[in-house]
Amino acid sequence: MYTLGIDIGSTTSKCAILKDGTELVATSLQRGGLGTGGPEEALSRLWRERGLSREDMERVIATGYGRNKFRGADGEVSELTCHALGGRFIFPDLRTVIDIGGQDAKIISLTADGRMSNFIMNDKCAAGTGRFLEVMANILCLDINDLGPIAAKSDKPAPISSTCTVFAESEVISQMANGVEQADLVAGICQSVATRVAALARRAGITQRVCMSGGVARNEAVRRYMAEALNTEISFDPRAQYFGAIGAALYAWRQADQVYSGNF
Amino acid sequence: MTHTEIFEKLHEVALNPKAQMDAYLAQGKKVVLCAPVYTPEEIVHAMGFIPMGAWGGDRELNRAKEYCPAFLCSIAQSILELGMIGVYEGASAIIIPSLCDTLKTLGQNWKYAVKDIPFIPMTYPQNRKPAFGVAFTRAGYERVVAELEKLGGKFDNAALRASCEVYNRHNAAMRKLDEVLAKHPEVTAAQRSDAFKSAFFMEKSEHTAIIEELIAALEATPAGRGKKPILVSGILADAPQFNAILDEMGLYIAADDIAAQSRQYRTDVPAGDDALTALAEKFANMDNCSVLYDQEKLRVKLIVDTVKARGIAGVLVVMTKFCDPEEFDYVPIKRACEAAGIPVTIVETDRQMAHYEQARTNIETFRDMLMM
Repeated sequence: MYTLGIDIGSTTSKCAILKDGTELVATSLQRGGLGTGGPEEALSRLWRERGLSREDMERVIATGYGRNKFRGADGEVSELTCHALGGRFIFPDLRTVIDIGGQDAKIISLTADGRMSNFIMNDKCAAGTGRFLEVMANILCLDINDLGPIAAKSDKPAPISSTCTVFAESEVISQMANGVEQADLVAGICQSVATRVAALARRAGITQRVCMSGGVARNEAVRRYMAEALNTEISFDPRAQYFGAIGAALYAWRQADQVYSGNF
Repeated sequence: MTHTEIFEKLHEVALNPKAQMDAYLAQGKKVVLCAPVYTPEEIVHAMGFIPMGAWGGDRELNRAKEYCPAFLCSIAQSILELGMIGVYEGASAIIIPSLCDTLKTLGQNWKYAVKDIPFIPMTYPQNRKPAFGVAFTRAGYERVVAELEKLGGKFDNAALRASCEVYNRHNAAMRKLDEVLAKHPEVTAAQRSDAFKSAFFMEKSEHTAIIEELIAALEATPAGRGKKPILVSGILADAPQFNAILDEMGLYIAADDIAAQSRQYRTDVPAGDDALTALAEKFANMDNCSVLYDQEKLRVKLIVDTVKARGIAGVLVVMTKFCDPEEFDYVPIKRACEAAGIPVTIVETDRQMAHYEQARTNIETFRDMLMM
């Protein structure tokens, strides 16, 4: 039995197909999230590349900020629930998820048996989110995907305010004017995101195993600074950006299979 | 009337306070606005005025920004905004108590921003329980009386005693309603909000009559099933979009610790020959609220005890943005709930919120936590 999860975020759309709730058989990602053609394109690609169709899916669950607007799902579930489910699918002993998405950051705590016990959302401003990195990458005329590798070349990150994206933007421009090395500047930007989200994570409480999910998890520098700030190991899986979609597919499978046991 | 019809009537009142005020004015009555959080409505009532709650409204703030910085409680800002754009036109005065720093600034700004509606300050003491605190409160009430006399009101001890009884009976009806609603999950969060909100806009004996009718109608109705009971805590929980989310998520309010709702009705005016002193003693006896000084934070225990007593699944804290007193209390509330194994979450709201998507995600996740 196939089930599909589709995670429609603020900047990207992700799909994941599970077979019998245990095997991840396909994923797809498309730039363009809520309010764009991204979700449909991500689905089209998935069908095209895997030779599957909507009819093959026993159940489809949508998650992410665009979940309510998406037509074609059998239900919708909050992305926090899905990131917790998806993270636990990849790391069965997972206790803390740090999800940094395009427009917000979320910390999710899980009990030893996998139930969600606490969560915190940073929904006030763009600092500490993927949007912050995107704005900074634009100022520096860099691709957001290059920030991590460039930051790796620095051993003295430039101090960047973690308070506000708008203030940080002018700060970065001032630093550029003062001749600060690009690598140090990028490292400082990544460190700024990490320290801001780490403060949020400490409020929720950190229990090992800890992993990062969401698009920003792919940034190795942010992961490294996060680990330093929290003084803990941060687990990473290349499928981190798909945790929401995987969790939605798993949720769909549990509903379809009616094996809802009460635990994640 | 059925309980549905009564809720519809209360909805009309809650939705149209301006129409309610205009109707009172058309009857030749004078209206005095009562700002949050605790205003001595009994005095206003006894002196022949209609006390009407002025808790602001959900709207974009423009004119209030001439006086207020952005990072200020939107309840206070929206009261000022409504005053400045003429919504309260026809009111004889506004009483603004000094129970938080923002309310103090509201009173001072009001004097300059809304010149045609006189501002009457009610300065409460921090230490309200000792005899000197009661005397301080009483002196504050005397000042309110003097200001209302300037507007044509007449003070009489017996009349105040009678008004205190009207308010005590209303308190009892609202407490009873809260108990009855806890057993009726089919009543929506919006209906519950309307029942409490309408109390601010109706003369209290009128509201008591309709609430007593509602209680009787509900008691004659079999209770619904299938929703998760939660306790909501905060200053306000009257935004239609917020309440719609609770209903959509299958959550129902089995108890509240909301300043604009149950907190208003927990304490009665005690017996006493001198009605003004009795009223001051009522304030001294009040507890369990973020704006009432309490080193022991007994409010926290009340929340935990209520959750246990009513079999409630979790606590939803509705935090009004930039409300310092509530933010201070949130920490011990969260710790106490966690220690008692009670799931708790916080949602930030304000009067200017047009979109509730992030609140929806938060509440939906909380629902998942309670269900799974």
